[in-house]
Parts: sequence; structure tokens; C-alpha cells
Amino acid sequence: MKRHWSPARVGAGLVIGAWAGLFWFVWAAGRTSLYLSTRTAWLIPMGAILMTVAAVGRLASARVERTEHLGSRETVMFGVIALPVVLLLALPPATLGSYAAGRRSNSTGIAASARIVSGPIDFVDIAAARSVKSAAADLRARAGERVTMDGFVTVDEGDTDRFQLTRFVITCCVADATISYVTVVDAPPGQVANDDWVRVTGTIYPLGSDILVDAETVVPIPPPDDPYLTP
Amino acid sequence: MAVDVARRPGATEPRRGSASSRAGLWVITGLAGIAILVRLLDPEQFAWVRNFLIVFGSLLVEAMPFIVLGAFVSAAIEVFVPASAFEKIARLPRGLQIPAAAASGMAFPVCECGSVPVARRLAAKGLAPSAAVTFMLAAPIVNPVVVASTYVAYRGRDTVAIMVLGRLALGFIVAMAVGWVLGAVRGDQLLKQRDAEVEAHEVDAAERRWQRFFGHLTGDIVFMARFLILGAAIAAAVQTFIPQSILNGVANLPILSLIAMMALAFIMSLCSESDAFVAASFTAFGPAPQLAFLVFGPMVDLKLGALYVGTYERGFFRMVVIAVGATTLAATLWIQVFFG
Repeated sequence: MKRHWSPARVGAGLVIGAWAGLFWFVWAAGRTSLYLSTRTAWLIPMGAILMTVAAVGRLASARVERTEHLGSRETVMFGVIALPVVLLLALPPATLGSYAAGRRSNSTGIAASARIVSGPIDFVDIAAARSVKSAAADLRARAGERVTMDGFVTVDEGDTDRFQLTRFVITCCVADATISYVTVVDAPPGQVANDDWVRVTGTIYPLGSDILVDAETVVPIPPPDDPYLTP
Repeated sequence: MAVDVARRPGATEPRRGSASSRAGLWVITGLAGIAILVRLLDPEQFAWVRNFLIVFGSLLVEAMPFIVLGAFVSAAIEVFVPASAFEKIARLPRGLQIPAAAASGMAFPVCECGSVPVARRLAAKGLAPSAAVTFMLAAPIVNPVVVASTYVAYRGRDTVAIMVLGRLALGFIVAMAVGWVLGAVRGDQLLKQRDAEVEAHEVDAAERRWQRFFGHLTGDIVFMARFLILGAAIAAAVQTFIPQSILNGVANLPILSLIAMMALAFIMSLCSESDAFVAASFTAFGPAPQLAFLVFGPMVDLKLGALYVGTYERGFFRMVVIAVGATTLAATLWIQVFFG
């Protein structure tokens, strides 16, 4: 009996193939860190492989003996499923910024971080110091030390020499992002704007729940490859 | 349920073909237009659009592999596991089936999106729907990966034991309670019937086993994906426009704090493997509201709501919201009395 290509099966294969293509693209273009944490980065190659297998399997079984038609509703449904693929491929590399920072809660870091006692201080330690007494005590013991921290700028209107240097902390994906920040004071006036990435070198002073960095230098930097931190 | 579409009147076929061609053309044009629009968008002026797309994309990029993995398991159950295997389990008394289903969730370390297609298939194959739903609700909370992530999120705090053990215990209790509420409902009363024509395109009973496997696999992916996309879009929109600090005002109010955290879990639609880190960040709230967040969220949220509505018959989603909400509220109220 003569076999025909089933448009519905080909459509399903192509749509799932498009998703597989998105995952391969994200993986090959090094964009995994724009969506997932280092802990869940393995989902990208796994998703790419599984979806490729599913798409190839569907296309391999897409020739059928009966005549089939693809309904308008199914066509639109395939379009809806392909829409996120198009959106994510069209979106230039982007990360959450000051807009999201104002809407997120504070990260708590990881309380048992050993770095806070003797290693270089980072935003995960800062987050821990804001929420756990022992970590706050460890950070207080290091008051007056020189630190270098990279982050993006969140500046309140009217502030000229003061801004918040912020990083997002994510566990699985960007949807679970929480913020960690230090308040930078004595910064060169008017040199930074919201969402600028900068490297601040200065002296750290934990003052209760506020953690200040008295800036010596504020240098613009390109956005890092891993814009989000994972505790 | 299969429909032989070849027997449809031939006169309608050209019209159907041209209608679907027109629909295809509109879809492709629409997708191309959206792509150009996103590319031309000024991120400075439309920060909320960028924020929405990033959160929407990250929810999908994380959840899709689990949906696909769940669909692989689901298709394998359908094609390779004989129905008689489930009939034996279905003959067990419900008092045994439900706790066993909840406990088997410990062996399925995926988040909530992966457990939905598996539960659907289990119910379709003859497992008591109450047991399948119990498994679906328990698995995202009681699996070892989630237990470990909850421990890591609360490590170093006085409340670590309450949070880890409390979440595990409440996960079992609430999932089994919903299973009991469902009672003796039959699979055909619970599961929404799929579009007959679409289903006929997916699988032909006369096909070879591997072909049927891929038919069920891609059918489940396509079926689940559209609801996941809808749920992720709503969750991303809510995350984009509603600040999390909106809840801080009720942190110290006994019952409202529990309801507020359950509502937050519902709208944030987080993966159960990461939600403990977000719950832990709400330091103004005590252990009980945080537990309410950690138990309610993996069972009922916007993303799952869309999946439930697509998978189960009308009324199921409402029943799950009420049953999970009431049980979680009652249980966490007791915890609030003793631990705050």
C-alpha cells in the first residue's frame, strides 16, 4: 500500500526538532548561564539529546498508509509551541538587571560558607551575613579589609556618589533569583548608571544590616560570562 | 478513540487542506513578525519586556527537559508495561495503594512537571486515579534531591530539622489526603479525553512498537508543552510586575502569613528543587509560613494549574487547590502554634 507523509506527524517532529535546536543553540553559544545555574546546566545537553531523539523518532515514523490532514487548530497549536523558540532565539543575550532587583527578595547565601572567615569575600557571603548571625559575626571580624567586587549598578534617583552594587543569586533557574548587594559610597560622582557592570575596589564596613564598601576605584567592565551566582 | 480520518468525505478535503495552509501561513508570518519585534526592542525603554522574556525563557528551559523525560517514562509505560501489571496493583485495597504511591514518589527524582505525564499515564493504564494523583503530588516533594536541596538551603539555621522533616512529612500527609478526597473516582472520570483526530495522528494501533512509542512520546510532549508555555507565561508576567516585598506586611500575622506564602508559591511557580532557597530568603516569615510555601507550591502553582486543566477533567484543579490548600493550612497552623 502506498505510504504518505503525515502532515501532523511531520509538524510534531519539526516543532520538537525546533525545541531541540534551541537547546543545542543555547549550549553551543554558551548561553546556558543566562537561564540556568551551574547546578542545573546539565539540563541543556540532556534536553537537547532527548528532544532530538523524540523529533527524529517522530519523523522516522511519519509515513503512514492512510491519508491524514493537518487541521487549522493543530497548526495554530504547533505555532504556539514554537513561539518560545522564536522568542528566545530572537532575544539578544540579556540578564536580569536593576528592574528585577527592585522586585526580588534578598538572598540568604549559604550559612556555612568557609570563605567568609578567611577567603575573598563575595556576594554569597554578603547574603549569608545578612541572614545568619554567625556569618554576620564572621564578616564583622573582617571590617576594614580591602575587597574587590564585580556587579551591576542600581542607583537611586538623586544619589550621585552612592549606589548599590548587586548580583543575582540563583539556585536552579533565573525564576528563583534573589539579590545580594553592597552599598558603595564615595564613588566618583555621576560615572555610573543603572545596569552598568563595574568592578569596585574599596574597604568593607558591615554596619548592621547595611554593608558598605568605601570605594577607591570604580571601573567599568563587560558583563561576565556567568552573570548569576550559585551558592 | 481512534478516528479514521481517511474516511471523511472527500469533498471537504481540499477545503481542509487550504484552511490549514492559510493557518500555517499566518502562523509563520506571526512568528517572523514577533521575532523582528523582539530584535528591534530597546531594552532601556522596555525593561519589563526583557525581564518577562528572561524569566519566561528560564522557566521553560528548565521545565521542558523534565516534561520530555516524563513523556519518555510515560510512553515506555504505555508501550512496554502490560496493563495486567497495573491491574494487580489496582486490586490492592485503597488503604495500601495510596501510601505506597506516596512512598514510590521517593524513587522519582524529578520536579513537578515530570510527574504529571507519568501520573496521567498510570491512571490511563488502570492504576487507581487516587493513587496516581497521590504519586503526582508527593513525588516533587519527597524525592531525595528535593530533601537534600531543602537541607542545603536551611543548613546552619536553628530551623533546619523542622524545615527538612516538616516538608517531608507534610508532603506525604497532604498528597495522601488528596488521594483520599479523590476516593473511588474512575480514570475516565478524571482524565480529560484528548482530541480524537489529534490522537489518531499520533498513534496507530497497527504500527510497530517503536513507532507507537514515538507516537505516544511526541503526543505527550505536544500536549503538555502548550499548557506549560501558558503557565510559564502567566508566572513570568506575575514575577515581572509584582514585587516580592508586597508580602512583608503580613509576615507576623498568624493565618494570613500562611495564606500569603501559599499565594506567593502559587504565582512564582518555582521548581521544587530550588524553591527552598527562595523560601529561606523570606527571613521575615517563620518556619510555618515557609513550610506552607514549600508544600503548597510543588503541588499547586500557575504552571501546574495549566497542566492540570489540560490533563484532567473540569473541577479537578479546583478540587486540588481546595484540598491541598486546606490540608496545608491546617497542618502548618499546628506548626505555627509550636514553632512560629
